[in-house]
Amino acid sequence: MVPGLLLALVVPAVTGESVLAQYVRETDVVPTDEDIGEGYKTPQVQRPLPRATWWDAVDAVVLAVSLGLSAWIVMRRRNRHALVALTITCLLYFGFYREGCVCPIGAIQNVSVAIADSTYSIPYVVIFFFFLPLIFALFFGRVFCGGVCPLGAIQDLVLLRPVQVPRRLDKGLGILKYIYLVLAVWWAVRPVADRDFIICRFDPFVGFFRLIGPGDILIFGAALLFLGIVVGRPYCRYLCPYGALLALVSRLSWRGVTITPDKELDCGLCTESCPYGAVDEMRAVRSSCLFCARCFDWCPRERVRQEGEAAGGNRLTEPRESA
Amino acid sequence: MTADPIEGDDTMKRGPTRRDVLGHAARGAGLVAFGGAAFYLTSKADADGVWVIDPEKCINIRLGATGIEACEECATNCVLPMSAVRAVNDFAKCGRCCICPGYYEVTSDTGPDGLPTRKLCPRDAIERVPIGEVDPEDPLNNFYDYFIDESLCNGCGKCVLACKEPAGLSSLRLEVRYDLCTDCNRCSIAMVCPEDALVRIPADPA
Repeated sequence: MVPGLLLALVVPAVTGESVLAQYVRETDVVPTDEDIGEGYKTPQVQRPLPRATWWDAVDAVVLAVSLGLSAWIVMRRRNRHALVALTITCLLYFGFYREGCVCPIGAIQNVSVAIADSTYSIPYVVIFFFFLPLIFALFFGRVFCGGVCPLGAIQDLVLLRPVQVPRRLDKGLGILKYIYLVLAVWWAVRPVADRDFIICRFDPFVGFFRLIGPGDILIFGAALLFLGIVVGRPYCRYLCPYGALLALVSRLSWRGVTITPDKELDCGLCTESCPYGAVDEMRAVRSSCLFCARCFDWCPRERVRQEGEAAGGNRLTEPRESA
Repeated sequence: MTADPIEGDDTMKRGPTRRDVLGHAARGAGLVAFGGAAFYLTSKADADGVWVIDPEKCINIRLGATGIEACEECATNCVLPMSAVRAVNDFAKCGRCCICPGYYEVTSDTGPDGLPTRKLCPRDAIERVPIGEVDPEDPLNNFYDYFIDESLCNGCGKCVLACKEPAGLSSLRLEVRYDLCTDCNRCSIAMVCPEDALVRIPADPA
């Protein structure tokens, strides 16, 4: 029995009276264009291609330019408004447009797998995203955290009523991120069956970027954002495994944030201004300074300098007599 | 190096201290370490990888419609609101039947026109287009094209499972749509796929 005819016979038998007779044409072989006739052409099967590789290059260039801008804005322009503009741009691009992927935080695990497992193929763009912010940290500190990281950006923007976390508690919680880093590497270097990309899986904010996610992770992310209204960037300071790496590397950094443009007034306003507890004895601590540029806004000497610049000169460098 | 107008740099006058030298050495070592690791990884990197569905493994693709339920893990487990998996009709294999088992629920009651009254697709994502003029006395022996509206299809796989011999010719299959897939490290469909049919392969734009 021709299999295609089987169905054709069954259907009228069930229904009794049917306008349909039965298949005369063969339905168990594919009709050719000639069988169908009337100049019929078999339609093309739609086949979308993977994201073009040059888009990876665009991501890499955007990352490099924003890292450079973040360093320049904080260390030279010393301007918080410009940094917020960069932060929002990067949140839109790396967060909402690229849906939080690729990011250096998750790349920790890809790089660990690639080092441990010779058969694992890692995309070029992931290598670039992992190492470039670390190299920037060697020279300038955590510039990635400041204006580039979309996870940092979403937390920085909700920080409306910052309070200072007691220093001891801050230090204690800060250890969590190193534990998370060790766990992430451990889970990555295990055999392939036990491997788990925990950083991506428990990424608290990627659900917001994609506008969907597992309920428990969304609740976790919302809780962090809610807490983030008063406690500055809780994920970055206490949980982020890449923040742990950057904190270690930025200890070696060549330059860092210098709060006052010239001489100190010993007013201590900068210590108060920092929501991340990163100003100690009126000095920005390189391992915890997140390049948010808030301290410049509070520094009286910085204000004098910027007003002077706006007036067309640099009042700080002019001798007192001629002022 | 130009003098920094912001940071009063008195090390320029005194010459480099031991601390400066150690700092430079540490940074140099860091650069070599990062550069070396990046170079080593680049030597084994590729442009990118993509998730695909192995048709030999996917039960919706390989099994016949013998009364079993379609596996709908692809539709419900993607991290995206609308799964990146779609049903695809390979026109080169399609029999262009009047009563397509992927389009109609063939066990449903027959209507006055002799066709099944219910469609199989829960989202009505398949469009049935007659090819040329249809003889109303003998529609069964006409040809029909079946197009899948990819904005509606969520890759549940019901039609894919149904289009199998003896009723169909296995022209329907499931595919990951690369333009939609976010390419997760840990594909959440792969985690639950009962047949491990979602596999990662190097991207081949050709």
